[in-house]
Amino acid sequence: MLLRKLTDTLLINNLKHSACNEFRNWPKRSFSAHGSGQVVSQPQKKLTARQEELMKRGLPKRTKIPNVENIIVVASGKGGVGKSTTAVNLALALSDVESQNKVGLLDMDVFGPSIPRMMNLSGSPALTKNDYMIPLTNYNIKCMSMGFLVEEKAAIVWRGPMVMSAVQRLLLRTEWGELSHLVLDLPPGTGDTQLSISQLVEVTGAVIVSTPQDIALLDARRGAEMFSKVNIPVLGMVQNMSIFTCPKCGHQEHIFGQDGVQNMATELGIDLLGDVALDPKIRQCADEGQPIIISHPKSAQAESYRSIAKNLMQNILLVNKSS
Amino acid sequence: MNCDIEDIQECPADSNLAGKVAVCDGCPGKDLCLSQVSQPDPDQQVIDLRLKAIKHKILVLSGKGGVGKSSVSAMLSQMLANDGKKVGLLDVDICGPSIPSLLGIADQPIVDSQWGWKPVLSSCGKIKTLSVGSLLSSGSQAVVWRGPRKTSLIRRMIKDTLWGRLDALIVDTPPGTSDEHLTIVKLLAAAKPDGAVIVTSPQKLSAGVVSREIRFCQKMKVPVLGIIENMSGFTCTCCSEVTQIFSSGAGEYLAKKYGIPFLGALPLDTRLIVAQEKGLNIEDLHPQSPVVLQMRKILREILVMVGEIAVPH
Repeated sequence: MLLRKLTDTLLINNLKHSACNEFRNWPKRSFSAHGSGQVVSQPQKKLTARQEELMKRGLPKRTKIPNVENIIVVASGKGGVGKSTTAVNLALALSDVESQNKVGLLDMDVFGPSIPRMMNLSGSPALTKNDYMIPLTNYNIKCMSMGFLVEEKAAIVWRGPMVMSAVQRLLLRTEWGELSHLVLDLPPGTGDTQLSISQLVEVTGAVIVSTPQDIALLDARRGAEMFSKVNIPVLGMVQNMSIFTCPKCGHQEHIFGQDGVQNMATELGIDLLGDVALDPKIRQCADEGQPIIISHPKSAQAESYRSIAKNLMQNILLVNKSS
Repeated sequence: MNCDIEDIQECPADSNLAGKVAVCDGCPGKDLCLSQVSQPDPDQQVIDLRLKAIKHKILVLSGKGGVGKSSVSAMLSQMLANDGKKVGLLDVDICGPSIPSLLGIADQPIVDSQWGWKPVLSSCGKIKTLSVGSLLSSGSQAVVWRGPRKTSLIRRMIKDTLWGRLDALIVDTPPGTSDEHLTIVKLLAAAKPDGAVIVTSPQKLSAGVVSREIRFCQKMKVPVLGIIENMSGFTCTCCSEVTQIFSSGAGEYLAKKYGIPFLGALPLDTRLIVAQEKGLNIEDLHPQSPVVLQMRKILREILVMVGEIAVPH
């Protein structure tokens, strides 16, 4: 007998029943959320009044971070396509193309934070009187990351619920001040972090980054579908690592494939914000903590990021007008 | 006044301090941890039984995304299958399952039977695979789940699948050090996995993130078999100049720092990318390409370490 396929697998909170038939026949036993394989005994007492109140509530309302006009998430679904690199350079480009823009950058990758190294920042953030964290600033961008709160080499081995509270703290308990754009660098995947963000704050829109490779596009498509399910508009896609030029002979090669992202963007009806070539300089500068827009401001790559920023700003205006 | 960074690294969920330390105060799972009454888990027996029939269990970890864990897992299992071994490939990346497309079985469903799920056999080589990708109704469906649900599915993937007698089970993991990793390490713990192979890309940025993964393995007492540096160098087809696009050295640096064997560096090869996109076996198509030769050396090292090949003195 053929296993019935999972139909709708989006589960926003544990109280909704899943539409997928697969799990109907599971034994009625609850595992602890921190499932070490131990069975939690059924609670003997009735639900307390507080628990009843919690269960009657629906999803929490999304809050708006005070004085932050637009929240842009840079996501992908697939790892290693250049989300952090794109987020950093996009934040710098937004600040560059329009002098009135005040930009913040928040690194939501709890397990593998890259922003501290890329922005050449380190140290613990100070706290205000109200216990809010003060973001560290470099190149005129305010940054916050899990990397500032833990040692560089420490392993952060957390299950979902703890990740949720870390995300909440980083997002809502940071003193951002007045910002025109807050860029969120998301981790790969479509899990706890992405869900928590979409449920906690009003996100203006998402930018999906991908390489032209089929495998990356598969996951990018899942990312796009996730955003449509949580009602976050996708403002555009960025094709990263599109073409490689041999530094010696100038021969050009599409290592990861050609036009994959362009085709997918057309298919999904999303704009292609821009194309970034595969250039060892981008990686080198990121490793040294001097993003390419700062170290080589007149290079073609810096220009690509600036044009992506301009296209993004246009799409943000359109989305804000229509909402 | 600075942030208090003590005790922020450990989630004490699986110890007797669960729900009781300061760091638990903000956690939504605190009440559940405090109400836990532990009993031996009846599923663990079935899981141990299934795992006992598998000779070698190897995890492929990274911590960083996009370094090539799935590609390396697929290549390892294809080469083992070419050698005539019985191989299984378990993909616990629930949000981004890549294994069905890499092995060319994207459209094949998982068949249920009265004894359990029958894993899908790959097209070339006889690799038994299990992935969330094979359970989804379409290739682009998104699985947007929180941790506890993923944990339950992974338990089921081991407990209810007819793995049968295998020489090796390769487990492909997602990036990070979260629910999926904790679950799979705990489930395999009683069955003593042979260890983990860590994949990294050559750049310094990856080294930072991957060192967290190595610390995770040390904490969870999973032996690290070695480090593979992937995407190390691209050879221009026109002039044969090798460019280190993603820089170099992270693999050797990590190996030296943590005292782990450096298994080898795999170069970037467009032929591998094309073969894997079509779900074909690169060893069959281009047996003399540098990436295949290097991978064979790495596989030999791994087999020596798990005791499958005896090294002649």
